[in-house]
Amino acid sequence: MDFGFTAEQKKLREKIHEFFMTELPEDYEPGTENMGEEVQAFFLALKDKAVQRGFYVPGWPKEYGGSGFSEIDQGILDEEMGYAGVVWPDFLGLHLVGPTLMMIGTDEQKRRFIPPIARGETICFEAFTEPEAGSDEANVQLKAVDDGNSFVLSGQKVFISGFFKPNWLFTLARTAQTVPKHRGLSLFLIPADLPGITFRPLPTMGGGRQNEIYFDEVRVSKEYLLGQLNRGFYHAMQVFEFERRMTGAASRGRRQLEELVDFCKKTLYDGEPLMADPQIRDNLARLAVACELQRLAGWYSTWLFAERGKAALMPAYDLSNYYAKKWAAPQAQTMADTVGLYAQLGVASKYAPLAGRLDRMWKFTRSMHAGGTFEVIKIVLAQRGLGLPRIPAPIMKEIGEAIKKDGKAA
Amino acid sequence: MDFSLSSEQDMLKKEARKFLEKECPEHFVREIEKGDRGYAPELWRKIAELGWLGMAFPEEYGGLGSTIIDLAVLHEEMGKAMFPSPHLSTVVLGGLTILEAGTEEQKRTYLTGIAEGALILALAWNEPEASWGSKAWEPRGITLPAVAEGGDYLISGTKLFVHDAAIADYLLCATRTSREGNPAEGITLFLVAAKSPGITTTLLRTTAGDKQCEVVFDKVRVPAGNMLGPLHGGWAPLFRAQQRGAVMLCAQMVGAGEEILKITVEYAKTRVQFDAPIGINQYVQEHCTELAAYVGGCRYVTSQAAWRLSENLPCDFEVAVAKAWCSEAFEMACLCAHQVFAGYGYTSKDGVLPLYSRRSKTQQLYLGDGPFWRTKVAEVLDGWKFERTFGKPLGLWKGAVEKEIPAWKVWGPKDLGEV
Repeated sequence: MDFGFTAEQKKLREKIHEFFMTELPEDYEPGTENMGEEVQAFFLALKDKAVQRGFYVPGWPKEYGGSGFSEIDQGILDEEMGYAGVVWPDFLGLHLVGPTLMMIGTDEQKRRFIPPIARGETICFEAFTEPEAGSDEANVQLKAVDDGNSFVLSGQKVFISGFFKPNWLFTLARTAQTVPKHRGLSLFLIPADLPGITFRPLPTMGGGRQNEIYFDEVRVSKEYLLGQLNRGFYHAMQVFEFERRMTGAASRGRRQLEELVDFCKKTLYDGEPLMADPQIRDNLARLAVACELQRLAGWYSTWLFAERGKAALMPAYDLSNYYAKKWAAPQAQTMADTVGLYAQLGVASKYAPLAGRLDRMWKFTRSMHAGGTFEVIKIVLAQRGLGLPRIPAPIMKEIGEAIKKDGKAA
Repeated sequence: MDFSLSSEQDMLKKEARKFLEKECPEHFVREIEKGDRGYAPELWRKIAELGWLGMAFPEEYGGLGSTIIDLAVLHEEMGKAMFPSPHLSTVVLGGLTILEAGTEEQKRTYLTGIAEGALILALAWNEPEASWGSKAWEPRGITLPAVAEGGDYLISGTKLFVHDAAIADYLLCATRTSREGNPAEGITLFLVAAKSPGITTTLLRTTAGDKQCEVVFDKVRVPAGNMLGPLHGGWAPLFRAQQRGAVMLCAQMVGAGEEILKITVEYAKTRVQFDAPIGINQYVQEHCTELAAYVGGCRYVTSQAAWRLSENLPCDFEVAVAKAWCSEAFEMACLCAHQVFAGYGYTSKDGVLPLYSRRSKTQQLYLGDGPFWRTKVAEVLDGWKFERTFGKPLGLWKGAVEKEIPAWKVWGPKDLGEV
């Protein structure tokens, strides 16, 4: 048992820490959903520096630009990035598309698509969700009709995050209509600028941009099919299970807490710092306890992954995801409670404490469904982790139909 | 970063589990609870032979040089089995404190006696006027005076919530020897012979059915040689004892918690109502997943705290986090189990949940509960330093965020780049 790090790991952490502390300006505001052109340019430039320093894809195999980072090293990098409050513009390329290509890409696809991701030249959108396909991923309707040398895509995606203009779309489409629905889907990695693709903006509560994506008879060359035809659903499920490193999410919370604690020490009421108030002390202590739990849960997943490899990682018992989704909103609320009325002010107000971050944080925690709702996480823990029974899909279907017919389950 | 046990620790865990499954079945737990002593002397002798009493002492005192982690492994199994014994009082709160603060002679006398199973110790800390909430564990709550007279000290007053006082050979007693200055600087520890004239011990009836006592001291005479640690210097070793003991209680909660999770899930899968196992209901699944999440987290924080204590690293934050979390998470975990078991979790004749649940009260409260340990977390936060990023300010964010949400462009092929 060892909750510390080796001397090399500590040195690595110092190097990465110094990089971010130096490169991020004093007035950097993490977690800003609304990004103007200049802010986007800033992140792209920072990303280029990270690529140069070898901090971008260090955990990837050497032939793809990696530098031999172990899982623990990668966990340290994620932790420092979370602490700094940096999310790469192409984090989907790094964490989803790249690993998928490595897992199921043909040699040609790997050779062609992985290096640009590693060099930071891509922005990938993950276009899975549709109006009728959210948690029920297998309900995807986007049609992909086989037309000889290509597929023709027609349909729509919704709630696709992304402020940066994409050059690649990673998407799931229906290539077979007549089988159980999850056996008729295929994965595609397609250029975002193909004729017939339109991105309509959806402004979010937090000021960010999500997109509706319309596919109007889009001709997609077959070279862009990833993995096996009609096995796309299974490929996707496998890839989602790998992306479980949560050390970054935990450290982001920790940094926010450190700043809030600092704020409470410096801010006075009637001559006394807020930090002297027993209620505030108890609230901050609660947050610190939760942060520490999240930190350890993230490291547990990372360690398990490192120790026993991908095959042994039991996604069901990943408590880091559970804690993150369960506590994000209460934590934001507790932080907001510390400053009370001021929590409603955004950054432009001269009265906004912590640069309006608490307002942004609260809004962001209305979107914890992204990447899988908390309910799905609980269902997975209950059914796969604890072995509790589930209603088989055909019976669910019967129930759904009976409700449609006379408003109640059979 | 490594969450695993060593192979020796793993073996200790397996052997302890096997031993306790045989020697400490449910009926034994119930039987001991009915009596006054809170343990079975024959079993105490057996675990002395196994080395469970002396293991964390250095070899010269009959020990094996085991670590806090090893002790925590043991306490986890003892928590799972609900093993009734004065192990926490004697070995952890008594023995390890003597190891830290005792003279050479004291160590030789007491530690060897403990290791052999010949001595039982009980920690006398809390007092009737001062046990309210988290204040119970503040230095100023220790007011029992110890007054110097000749070569002895006289102690008069009352201690409360003293675990295992009725079976103890010695009481490790926290007294006040000075009222000047900082309350933490006037505390002295004494090893008081439990059968000294003037001591009256009365059992309290507690939720857990464990053997906590009121101990009344009426001019009890203690030789100066029984002072443990320096005069007025008792607070530091006492706080360390509290930290070690708190981590052992956390370990007990981890062991008990995992057992509760197991039986609750099993019940949910087998109990049939409305023609299906109740576990098909998402509300029931919710209780189970909450239980699993509460208990899972207990293991992480307890392991970390135990490791830091074992390595003699600063651990004020980690110990406080562990006991603050476990105390409250375990309470919630027990509640979740009660929801699932309903009637079968409340009746006292059959079923093991009420036993675990009542014992959880002691584990939650003893040596500090959530509110107390959060005050210690807050003290650590007082010392946190915040490091701002130090690149040149760019003025990019202030304006950007507050603009009216613009009419963003629709993007088509002309707007997007290619790779």
